[in-house]
Amino acid sequence: MEKTIITYSFFILTVLIFLWGLWFRMSIYLQGSIKGAEGADKWEKFILLFRRASKTFWRDPFWHIKVIIIDVIFHKKLLGQSFYRWLAHTLIVWGIIVIVAVHIIKLLSTFCLAGLSREIPLFSFAHAFETGTFCHFLEFLMSAFGIITLIGCLMSIIRRFFLRPDQLLTEEEDIISIFFILFLVISGFIAQGLLIAIPDIVSAHDYMGGFTENWVNYWMGIQTSLLNKITLIETLRSRPEVFWYVHIIPGLIWFIYLPHSKLLHIFTSSVTVIANKVKE
Amino acid sequence: MPIDISKLSSRHLLEIDACIRCGECLSSCPVYAERREEELNPRGKIQNLKKFIRNQYGLWARIFGPKKLNEEDIIALSEKIFRCTLCGACDIACPVLINPKDLSIATRETMVEMGHYPKALENLKKNLLSDHNISADDNEDRAEWVEDLGEIPEHGFQKDKAEVIYFVGCVSSFFPMVQKIPQNFVQIMVKGGVDFAILGEGEWCCGFPLIGAGMSRELEKLKVHNIDKIKEVGAKSVVFSCPSCYRTWKELYETDVELLHSSHLLEQLVKEKKIPLKELNLTVTYHDPCDLGRNSGVYEPPREVLKMIPGVKLVELENNREKTVCCGGGGNIEMVDPELSAGIAQKKIDEIQNTGTDIIVTSCQQCVRTISTRARKQGIKLKVMDLTEIVMMAMK
Repeated sequence: MEKTIITYSFFILTVLIFLWGLWFRMSIYLQGSIKGAEGADKWEKFILLFRRASKTFWRDPFWHIKVIIIDVIFHKKLLGQSFYRWLAHTLIVWGIIVIVAVHIIKLLSTFCLAGLSREIPLFSFAHAFETGTFCHFLEFLMSAFGIITLIGCLMSIIRRFFLRPDQLLTEEEDIISIFFILFLVISGFIAQGLLIAIPDIVSAHDYMGGFTENWVNYWMGIQTSLLNKITLIETLRSRPEVFWYVHIIPGLIWFIYLPHSKLLHIFTSSVTVIANKVKE
Repeated sequence: MPIDISKLSSRHLLEIDACIRCGECLSSCPVYAERREEELNPRGKIQNLKKFIRNQYGLWARIFGPKKLNEEDIIALSEKIFRCTLCGACDIACPVLINPKDLSIATRETMVEMGHYPKALENLKKNLLSDHNISADDNEDRAEWVEDLGEIPEHGFQKDKAEVIYFVGCVSSFFPMVQKIPQNFVQIMVKGGVDFAILGEGEWCCGFPLIGAGMSRELEKLKVHNIDKIKEVGAKSVVFSCPSCYRTWKELYETDVELLHSSHLLEQLVKEKKIPLKELNLTVTYHDPCDLGRNSGVYEPPREVLKMIPGVKLVELENNREKTVCCGGGGNIEMVDPELSAGIAQKKIDEIQNTGTDIIVTSCQQCVRTISTRARKQGIKLKVMDLTEIVMMAMK
């Protein structure tokens, strides 16, 4: 339970700092002028914009959902401009979306509910989240979309550092962003592999049990055998908190960094696309 | 003196952050094609602006205090910002639908507020507000071009009442090189039986040059005057041969009257067979003026007119419709940096020549002027025509 409290504390703190970061950026935008909000303060402007946005959305929710799917998530315009760029971007976007979603689901189900199931009988059904098919499916999703993200990152790196099209301009921010994601994905794979390689850390977890796809077993088997060859394995066995340092903490830092980096375009460009489509 | 971001809209500030320097806008920017300077392309301008804003309002500025801006940096920023044709090609290219053109105009307004803008624009403002035209001519002479027409009615087209007002625009009214545009257009309208009038000295500049100069606040007086004049005549429609006047009226003049570009009216007259067209044996190409095509969405009417003239073969430019490259006549850059404008015009001429024809038709007096002037200076054999001219040619 102590570990759970620490995890939650870190997670909640990260979310709070992340939200503050988003508000900080947004408060800069809100210093700008808004038609019909002359003399209003930031909060008043924010509320006005929120009301306008929801009013516009509810006027035709299906059209907005279509725009979000086709133009924001699938990035239709980019597909028309460069298939390579579109593919790299889409792989990273979908990889991150699914990985973040699975992390949240895992936190709530296999971690939060399963933790409660040991102490509160009402939650006993959640035992299954630790070892059942649901858990395995989530692990599989993480690995599969980890590979997707990894391919996207490698494609981006190849384009930025080897193909180097004339239009590209590489600055520190670009290097940090792409290698940060790459590091998180690779460290995620290592962490996952370590959990399999050192079963006594999570002895109760049967990662492959009940999962029949042979290629998944094969893939995990390769990771396990490779990691077993690493001499540091014994150290890791006695210091499982290393996972925190190599994957979880950088992951949380990445979230905090996000509103102050170019990755903020995940939110800002979504707004510009939707706003322009509405204007059209 | 910090850059006051309250002069920019919230949307502009968000767009500045949404730009991730992908560079899709580079290949479409005529200024960058000519100068190849990073700070002159839309990405460079946005990044420059982002740097200024982060230095003043970013996280580090919040923690350690804003970075002191030096005058030279602001002057350099201003010089770059005013070197843009405002053609809007970058708006079309941006994968996340940022509007660098609008951002450029808003930044120009901020620069004007700060007092950092090309001095040529000060004269422009003075001319517009005192003489009500861009060339500082006496506005009484606005309809002088009428006198060069052979037979003219007694009223000289300045009637008290009419169904349609022909808003001629400053360039066509005062620049002899393009006065044939209104001269041809009024003759076509007479032949087509259109009940029209011109405003003569009652017409004031629409205010479009002020928008590009970052001085749109000064536009109100011109707008109110022009709308009042239309009401006096009781016109139901206003027709423009100038795409920039057309666009300014469409976007900023709150009026109920129907607004048409000359190509709309020509298409209507030709379709209804109100003007007889003889066969012309010509192969032509068509240049979409930025303010008519990309910025107003009028692509087909001029093409329809050309296709309806017997014997005219239309060959499209490599970059046509929304991908059209600016001729170099927009954004007031002719005043700010004439060499840049001429260089862009040369690229346009090269593109025209690649089609294998030496006749270019367009629907804008400024495009006619810019392309013709460059071709003439370089001794290039190129016939630059407005749509009204080719229609007139077919009518004779």
